[in-house]
Amino acid sequence: MKKLMLLLAAALVALPVAAKDQFHLYNWNNYIAPETIKRFEDSCKCEVVQTYYSDNEELLAKLAAGAKGYDLLVPTSNAVQALIKGAQLKPIDKSQLPNLKNINPDDLNTPFDPGNKYSVPYAMSTTIIGYNDVKIKELGLPTDTWAVVFDPKYLEKIKGRITVLDSANELFAAALKYLGYSANDVDPKHWDQAAALIKKAKPYWAAFNASSYIKELTVGNIWLVHGYSNDIFQANLDAQAAKRPFNILQGMPKEGAVLAVDNMVIHKDAPRPDLALKFMNFMLDGRNSAELTNLIGSGNPNLDAVKYIKPEILKNPAIFPDKTVEAKLEQLKDLTSAQRRLLNRLWTEIKAGR
Amino acid sequence: MNRTARSKLGRWLVSGPPVLYLLVFFAAPALIMVLASFRTPGDFGGLAPLVEDGRLDLNLESYTRFFTESVYAQIFVKSVWYALLTTLFCLLLAYPLAALIAGSAKKHRDLLLLLVILPFWSNFLIRVYAWMIILGPNAALARTVNGVLGWFGHDPVPLLFSSFAVLVCLVYVHLPFMVLPLYANLEKHDRALLDAAQDLGAGAWQRFWRITFPLSLPGVYAGAALVFIPALGIFAIPDILGGPEDSMIGNVIKQQFLETRDWPFGSVLSIVLTVAALVLAGTAAWVGRSSLGTPSSTKAVRA
Amino acid sequence: MRRRPIGLWTAALGGYAFLYVPLLIVVVYSFNDSRLNAEWVGFTFDWYDKLFHNQDMLVAAGNSLLIGLTASAVATVLGTMAGLAMYRYQARLLSILVLAPIAIPEILMGVSLLIFFVLLNLTLGLISVALAHIAFCIGFVAIVVRSRLAGMDESLTEAARDCGASPFNAFRYITLPLIMPGVIAGALMAFTLSIDDFVITFFTAGAGTVTLPLQIYSMIKIAVTPEVNAVSTLLMLLTLALIIVASKLSPSLLGADEEKT
Repeated sequence: MKKLMLLLAAALVALPVAAKDQFHLYNWNNYIAPETIKRFEDSCKCEVVQTYYSDNEELLAKLAAGAKGYDLLVPTSNAVQALIKGAQLKPIDKSQLPNLKNINPDDLNTPFDPGNKYSVPYAMSTTIIGYNDVKIKELGLPTDTWAVVFDPKYLEKIKGRITVLDSANELFAAALKYLGYSANDVDPKHWDQAAALIKKAKPYWAAFNASSYIKELTVGNIWLVHGYSNDIFQANLDAQAAKRPFNILQGMPKEGAVLAVDNMVIHKDAPRPDLALKFMNFMLDGRNSAELTNLIGSGNPNLDAVKYIKPEILKNPAIFPDKTVEAKLEQLKDLTSAQRRLLNRLWTEIKAGR
Repeated sequence: MNRTARSKLGRWLVSGPPVLYLLVFFAAPALIMVLASFRTPGDFGGLAPLVEDGRLDLNLESYTRFFTESVYAQIFVKSVWYALLTTLFCLLLAYPLAALIAGSAKKHRDLLLLLVILPFWSNFLIRVYAWMIILGPNAALARTVNGVLGWFGHDPVPLLFSSFAVLVCLVYVHLPFMVLPLYANLEKHDRALLDAAQDLGAGAWQRFWRITFPLSLPGVYAGAALVFIPALGIFAIPDILGGPEDSMIGNVIKQQFLETRDWPFGSVLSIVLTVAALVLAGTAAWVGRSSLGTPSSTKAVRA
Repeated sequence: MRRRPIGLWTAALGGYAFLYVPLLIVVVYSFNDSRLNAEWVGFTFDWYDKLFHNQDMLVAAGNSLLIGLTASAVATVLGTMAGLAMYRYQARLLSILVLAPIAIPEILMGVSLLIFFVLLNLTLGLISVALAHIAFCIGFVAIVVRSRLAGMDESLTEAARDCGASPFNAFRYITLPLIMPGVIAGALMAFTLSIDDFVITFFTAGAGTVTLPLQIYSMIKIAVTPEVNAVSTLLMLLTLALIIVASKLSPSLLGADEEKT
């Protein structure tokens, strides 16, 4: 017994053996194609060590507490804002990124990172409506408006068969858009209106869910969701693979929606910033960038990638929206501490049934 | 004299290592967060600097918030209720299991015990997903229940995304933590007592209620503590299969650290939760002390 | 021959059924020909095949086992000592130190341990995770051991000491066999908690350290595929096999020595 314990202790200590050059990528799961990783490993003669998070906030909390060891991160824009404000990022040496010219100029030089000092766009998704086409057609419900999520006259028909995201930011953004305001509106009176709207619709919703709603949609237990475009795209692929008698389609609300742009950034304490820059440049190449879009149906800011993307994905208006829709998409801005507190109180009251 | 000196040394040797370990790897980190409860949240997340312009930035803001915005206390009370229900149902389900295992022949006992814990070496998430399959609207269970309700003219009731689903899952996930302590206690009960009672004419229920149950109380309290306290702080189960109003205090605390990035307030809520749990556990232990089995009655057990 | 009431049998069998129906679904769905864990589509061995080629998942499973065995072993030793001390010496400070990690929300523990480790400049990795796990597992072992000791007759131990036995031998030959079922119960709980922990592990793991729960939870937003069912099934069988082998090699492990006392 004692020997066993000594052996275990030795194993634990010996394990963190650094072999060849290691590049630590901290990313969402399934947010890069395995082939892409392999190709990068061949080109840089290094080993890519991937760790995952499933929520921007997890990343932020971990970094705020002082975690180190990661080279490249892939946060969404509002998280990039928070990271810049918190001095967590290393500025990018753009001379090392010849492929940066491939990016659509509209997607560069954003308000949260002027001049792209710290970040480079990676992939995009929108928060929209996903639905079971057979059931929704049967019930005669619209799919191009947030009303189907908030208006009791439509909700009656899908009571208990609709879920919304368990995220105060996302749900309030949708409510604000439906009420005609900007998704980034921070007027407390407008927030109260949004909260009232949500409370009225809540009795019809099956759940606030950000984790297991997609599979329920795919098997037909849930008929309509407020969810992420990538997930809904994937759900349709799964539904087809399982030969279900319906399709899962994406609905872009005419009032507008939240656009999430995920960016590549380098952590201030990155052990290998050189490899991080190599990886960035690699991913800015059209072919590599397109692999992700073809895999999960994510939006793509890379103009050079267009020729590598599957035509059916290019034609999908929810993934590659036209100019009129694009005008109504908004990226979420990070809130101040006081605003976050207010939002949390409203959110908790909604959840507590007050 | 000798005995006391030996006993003092013995006391340090036995309690020393765990105390030391917990002081370093629990108390020290915990104190960091207790201090955090008096600080201000950082604007982008984390905590604001402790020393601002040469002044110590400590305040009671977060504590005041907890006591003024009553919605947090409301969710807290609901969580206590869920945790109590979970503990009760765990006890009801676990007792027969533990009794069966404790009363079995030696060669079967170990296997039966392992069979209880085996399911819990699979991953938590897929066990919860399995429950989503069982409770799904098109699965056998929901169809049967709603079919029966239909006979009485009642609207169909969702089993999934409801308090029912949350409770069933809470009980499921915590069951082994009630079975194991109960088993550890029941295993040492002297059969002779029960046989003697039976010979004197006591029925099965009487034997249980007047002999077995009182003697098993330490195990019951241990199991109850190991179910109630963790259940109070859980968040994953409501997140995955809860309905719109099944949020527990664990969810609210998680939101403070993640979505809202308000670590001081999250710390305050956590401190309230911990203190409440410790106080409840302490009270239960104090109340149960009288029935823990004094030496005189123990001698009867071991006779 | 004890006549156990039929009510007890039915209730106990009901308990086992409650425990095993979801588990059966887990195992059966590991053969499900669908990426999602939601509805049965068809039979396939694909996921087991994928699993054996999935380096990441296998390494994660290995790490989980390693941390689980280590953490539960250390926690069992420290927890037994704590349980003994709590019972014998009514140690108040220890009782609080032992119970509090169970009560404190994991996310708070995770964040504060991370801050603490960073302050100490401790490299995050498997060890930092194991250290964290031990901290919250001690309490479970301690509480069970203490409840097992409750009402225990100290006169036996005292008699042994009066006869000249050293404290250690008195513990080893008298107390330990008597509390062994409690120790085993505590160890089993500690192991279970460790291999399934997500929140604390997330915060205390280093860059590149992956345990099975970390790997699996990161899939939560896309799809928790049957590969996870497969790895869980195998992990269960593996651990079961390990324990059976260990108990055959050392019969006293599971308290089979009871008869001797």
